[in-house]
Amino acid sequence: MNQPADIEIRHVTKCYSRGGQTLRVLDELDMQMAGGTFYALMGPSGSGKTTLLNLVGGLDTADQGEVVIAGENIAQLSSGQLARWRANNVGFVFQGFNLLPVLTARENVELPLLLAPINRRQRRAQAERALELVGLSDRMNHKPSELSGGQEQRVAIARAIATAPSVILADEPTGDLDRVTADQVLELLQLLNQQLKKTILMVTHDPRAASFADKIVHLDKGKLGRIDDNPTRPATAGR
Amino acid sequence: MPIKLMLRNVLAHPLRALLTIGSVMVAVFLITLLHAAVAGLDATLQQASANRLLVQSAVSLFVDLPLSYQQKIAAVKGVEAICKWQWFGGRYEQDKGGFFAQFGVDHDTFLLSYPEIEIAEGSAAGFTTERTACIVGCDLAAKYGWKLDQTVPIAGTIFQRTDGKPWEFVIRAIYRSSKTSIDQNTMYFHYDYLRESLETGGARGPEGVGVYMLRVLPSTDTLQLASAVDALFENGPQRVQTTTEAEFNRQFVSMLGDVPGLLKLIGSAVLFAIFFAVLNTMIMAGRERTRDSGVLKALGFGNLVVGGMLVFEGLLVCGLGAIAGAAVVKLLEAPFQAILSARLPGFAFSTQSLLLGCGLAMLIGLVSGIVPGLRVARLTTVQALREVD
Repeated sequence: MNQPADIEIRHVTKCYSRGGQTLRVLDELDMQMAGGTFYALMGPSGSGKTTLLNLVGGLDTADQGEVVIAGENIAQLSSGQLARWRANNVGFVFQGFNLLPVLTARENVELPLLLAPINRRQRRAQAERALELVGLSDRMNHKPSELSGGQEQRVAIARAIATAPSVILADEPTGDLDRVTADQVLELLQLLNQQLKKTILMVTHDPRAASFADKIVHLDKGKLGRIDDNPTRPATAGR
Repeated sequence: MPIKLMLRNVLAHPLRALLTIGSVMVAVFLITLLHAAVAGLDATLQQASANRLLVQSAVSLFVDLPLSYQQKIAAVKGVEAICKWQWFGGRYEQDKGGFFAQFGVDHDTFLLSYPEIEIAEGSAAGFTTERTACIVGCDLAAKYGWKLDQTVPIAGTIFQRTDGKPWEFVIRAIYRSSKTSIDQNTMYFHYDYLRESLETGGARGPEGVGVYMLRVLPSTDTLQLASAVDALFENGPQRVQTTTEAEFNRQFVSMLGDVPGLLKLIGSAVLFAIFFAVLNTMIMAGRERTRDSGVLKALGFGNLVVGGMLVFEGLLVCGLGAIAGAAVVKLLEAPFQAILSARLPGFAFSTQSLLLGCGLAMLIGLVSGIVPGLRVARLTTVQALREVD
């Protein structure tokens, strides 16, 4: 999937049971996101941001409704099909980086490529290219414990783009970083969006982080509040 | 890469991995040892002769039979030869802390009745013609460095000489056994030497015979013969019990209790203890790596792969333990065989015992891996990612 992927959310409802009570986290949500656009997903805690991200990424399934990515309704896929779909179409960036501590940076980036039909040499070359893109060529053989938080997150971004997915989902990617490092990571996401036409959906509480996005989606109590264009979006730092 | 990841995960906690591998190694060694001991007991019983019967007191093996029984038993149809056996229970003067069995036997029928006893040094004639002669097993001779024609002083405990001196036996033959049912650590001497000493007042102790061994003529119904011998003394003065050699050996072993059962029980206890230790390690490993499993699932790896990695990790740890255990078995095979063969002639570390030990270790690894493997496989990606270490 190299074309920018549109994302359509059609009447999606998702409920969770907690303490004997049913919480309606997403309530017949409808929205459309254009391919190749950088979206920031904002809203108060419990508004359904991460749940929406999980549904779009195929990590969770909706109770009702359709999640259509690049024309494919992933709500109909079985868990095995979803796993394969994720491997080919989505890259994840988590708040806590979630790198495997026993593997080096390059091995972490190679992980999703194990599922691609390429040989070992191609896999290694592709992982090295992704690490070059995030500016970590000199840290390829370091383990996560030997990297700074910003470097770890850049490795995670390299892992997310290694398989050339059309959609990158980021859950509070700068939550654990200082401001300078956070800006570097956000600039990197912006670069991926602008130069590689990745559709990026980023959950954040930080208005400063949201300001790097093209559009800001506001969720409230499981429903779409509004989608704002972001006129204050800073220019991408040259790389 | 998944194999590399599994190896790195195992090596991430080197001390824990080493201790787990070490415990599996000990378990494999112990199971192999215990299985070899049980198999050794069985082999000893299996090799017992089918054409030999043993007559003992119906009360207990520790109650002697009268000497007068010999002629009556010998006259029963089907008895080819009869040989007295009397437990001597002495102590070697130069090694009073050590132990080996000594028996007074009928020198003229003993070697004829036991064709599995082969003379390695000296001669049968040397043993049969001299009153104080004895024949010793080659392992016993090697243990004490005994040579042919050497006099061995044995202090009596049941049968004590009245002059206070030890008994003296001259080694006229050294034997080796072609069957494990006869060990190579025993001394046999003339029963007549003992009897005459008792009769002439040269020694004191109980008069009588421990057991009579009957060599049965070919094509004789041994059960019928045993019944006939038992019937002879049904009205006393001492009732007897006649059994096959295999049954006699089995009863002898069971006097100590259910030895094979006890050994199996110990083996099972070891197995369970190690199983829980490995299971605990693997559950800890599974819990520590729940988030990693979530990451793998998010990247597109299926439940089977993610769960399977923990199963293979369990197999890997136990496999390494099994290899280490097999190495220890090979290393200690010779010394253990030397120590145990005296009391358990059939004892041997067989390939079957080793395979059983290794197989059980792998089974432990499999089950210990399946438990945490199933857990992470069943978790949804979101649940796994939310897990806090």
